[in-house]
Amino acid sequence: MNSAIIAIAAAAAIAISTLGPAIAQGMTAKSAMESIARQPDAAKDIRSTLIISLALMEALTIYGLLIAFMLVAKV
Amino acid sequence: MGEKSKVLFSLFGVLDVTGEVVTMWIILALLTVICLIVKCNLKERPGVFQNMIETGVEYLDNFFEGLLGREKSRQYFTFLASLFIFIIIANYSGLVPGVGLTDYVKAPTASLSVTLGLGALTFIFLQVAGLRCGVKHYVKRFFSPIFIMFPLLVLDEFIKPASLALRLFGNVFGEEMVTEELYHLIPIGVPVVMMVLSILFCALQALVFTMLTSIYLDEVTEIEE
Repeated sequence: MNSAIIAIAAAAAIAISTLGPAIAQGMTAKSAMESIARQPDAAKDIRSTLIISLALMEALTIYGLLIAFMLVAKV
Repeated sequence: MGEKSKVLFSLFGVLDVTGEVVTMWIILALLTVICLIVKCNLKERPGVFQNMIETGVEYLDNFFEGLLGREKSRQYFTFLASLFIFIIIANYSGLVPGVGLTDYVKAPTASLSVTLGLGALTFIFLQVAGLRCGVKHYVKRFFSPIFIMFPLLVLDEFIKPASLALRLFGNVFGEEMVTEELYHLIPIGVPVVMMVLSILFCALQALVFTMLTSIYLDEVTEIEE
């Protein structure tokens, strides 16, 4: 019983922590592409800023993933 | 977090040597040998190997110059570039066949101890770089908009390297875990897809680590008029 709850908690941790950053990353990539299409000269600057902001959002998912791994180890 | 590494043997009775440490020694030896070969064979008209290395160094130089500006990138280039080269090779070492199967050779960045070590190194580097710009400027930064921000800004100094370390560890460890799970599901063919993806991700993580470090460095050494 207890380990079943932990397994569900691990699945929920990674699933919920993926939702927010996924939406955010989609919106970021969308607006970055739009601005590159509007101003191809600035593509280089936009790309490096894009990678940084994507990495910062990715970190949130990674925290969820780490928690999920910690929980899985306890099953 | 993650499984505990097995201690292979103790150095001087106190330092525990694990598989990650052995892999790091191998990486360091490899890099040193490459450096020595290139340094001893410097020519006016470069050969294939020298050309390759020069292109890489030039790329890194341009990369940091774009982020930090010419003067600061020249000043801190050695540390940032070494960090990048070490992390990217450490990440790629997990893709070499046989690495991770035994206790003797393991990918270093898939262990939290190693990435936290890199984070601590970054922390010390940022503090020293901040202090080099003047103690007054360093202290003033903690009270910069208003003095109420002081506890938050102090906390921020510790959170930055910790999040760098956790990000690198989570990405590399998560990738290895996913590859392993795929291997348990379907042993032939399917894990290759994830490994091809991880070729991209490994380079990206090394890039992100150094990029964020240099952005923090830019923040720390910024002098307002």
